Amino acid sequence: MKVTFKIWRQEGLETQGALKTYDVDRLSEDMSFLEALDHLNETLVLKNEKVIAFESDCREGICGACGVFINGRAHGPHDNMSTCQLHMRSFKDGDTIVVEPWRAGTFPIVKDLVVDRSAFDRIIEQGAYITAKTGTAAEANAILIPKEVADASMDVAACIGCGACVATCKNASAALFVSAKINHLNKLPQGQPEAHKRLLEMTTQMELENFGSCTFTAACEVECPAEISINSIAEMNARYVKAKLFG
Amino acid sequence: MSLFFKKSIIAATGLFLCIFLIVHLSANMLLLLPENLARGLYNSYSTTLRESILISIIAYLLYISIIFHVIYAGIVTYKNRQSKGVRNVMNHKNENSSWASQNMGVLGVLILIFIVVHLVNFWARVKLGIGENVKTDVAGNMDVYEVTFTLFHNIYYVIFYSILMIPLGFHLHHGLKSAFKTLGFYHKKGLKILAKTSLIYAVVMSVGFGIIPIIVYFK
Ligand code: HEM
Ligand code: SF4
Ligand code: FES
Repeated sequence: MKVTFKIWRQEGLETQGALKTYDVDRLSEDMSFLEALDHLNETLVLKNEKVIAFESDCREGICGACGVFINGRAHGPHDNMSTCQLHMRSFKDGDTIVVEPWRAGTFPIVKDLVVDRSAFDRIIEQGAYITAKTGTAAEANAILIPKEVADASMDVAACIGCGACVATCKNASAALFVSAKINHLNKLPQGQPEAHKRLLEMTTQMELENFGSCTFTAACEVECPAEISINSIAEMNARYVKAKLFG
Repeated sequence: MSLFFKKSIIAATGLFLCIFLIVHLSANMLLLLPENLARGLYNSYSTTLRESILISIIAYLLYISIIFHVIYAGIVTYKNRQSKGVRNVMNHKNENSSWASQNMGVLGVLILIFIVVHLVNFWARVKLGIGENVKTDVAGNMDVYEVTFTLFHNIYYVIFYSILMIPLGFHLHHGLKSAFKTLGFYHKKGLKILAKTSLIYAVVMSVGFGIIPIIVYFK
């Protein structure tokens, strides 16, 4: 299999970037997309050229490191799939594949396809945890949680923090990510004591980081590998009103 | 003021305008009756509105809503653009979101142009007495029916009014459901019903308002 990659190359934040074209041969349809990039990088090494910087860790859709924009879609052409789960069989022989980094003012480019997503970490630091000791597994089992509540919490806890929601959003809004982190804990009894504080501090940090506001285009829920629904954002808004009125 | 609050103002004023549109369209349906009926009914309805204090208050709320909606929409849209910053080299937005949702600002500007022209055509003449004098009918009411009748016998106005109801439809389709979510409505089944309701509402408003000038033209 042979494809033409057009890949964004940029030395650092302050320098200008541009798409660079690479014809890549001897690919297999069974290769993952990231393996195809690895393959390209190996040929660059042999030619003594600088390799393309991109991030990955788990390569099984759970760590959130790998996101890039592929042919105009976050994480590539499929809905609800991370870049590392994408395979070359999703493309045709001879295709041109445009690869660029996440584009958002809040995600400055570090190098090539790598962006700095530490704004997410700073939001997490504002309360996406509980301060109380919850004890061991045995003690956790003593807190009764209805199955529907546990399921709903798990649905949003699935967020892997990849940043696709921000990258695909025309407003660079982090609402899907932040709502997932807030609702995950605020739905559970363990999250209750700090529910309002958590919500207000995390949403405040979201604004300080200069993320935009959600206008419900719903692009994020289509690209989110964890299938977080935009209903989660509406729920966060409802909790926000409650926290403002009664918090 | 938090972004959430600013966006809520857009949503709340937008919803108020949506309710107004229902009332406004219902009343304008009177224009579709045969002329001998329509003229009397429409003019007396219009006089009743002008003389009611309650309606005056609602009218001021309406002006304020439009102004706040436009100003905050402008602020939020500007802010959001700034947050996005750089544009993508390639972006297939149509594969993950509706066209209307991506273009609310442009659609809004088209509606604003419409509102300004519309106010000049009617509000300025009837309420402010600017422009050509409005005659009275046999019952002594201002002949607002005649104003619409004359306006919609100008083919350019018919085209302008009818065409601009298309962007209104798109704006409302996204706006109605989005406003509920902005204000924190998250009931799962309710949101599905809301999505359908928004579509029906948008089509009824767009087709309803859009067809009136055309029918009046052929009267
Ligand atoms: C009949 C007149 C109008 C009605 C009924 C209406 C209704 C709405 C509604 C219900 C929303 C949703 C708020 C939300 O997403 O939470 C909205 C959003 C918006 N409106 Fe309007 N609107 C009208 C006129 C205008 C005008 C004249 C403009 C601008 C010049 C405008 C610009 C916007 C913008 C920029 C948004 C937010 C966009 C977004 O969600 O991305 N609208 N409108
Ligand atoms: S909400 Fe979805 S798209 Fe956004 S960071 Fe979490 S997993 Fe990624
Ligand atoms: S590499 Fe971990 S999610 Fe893709």
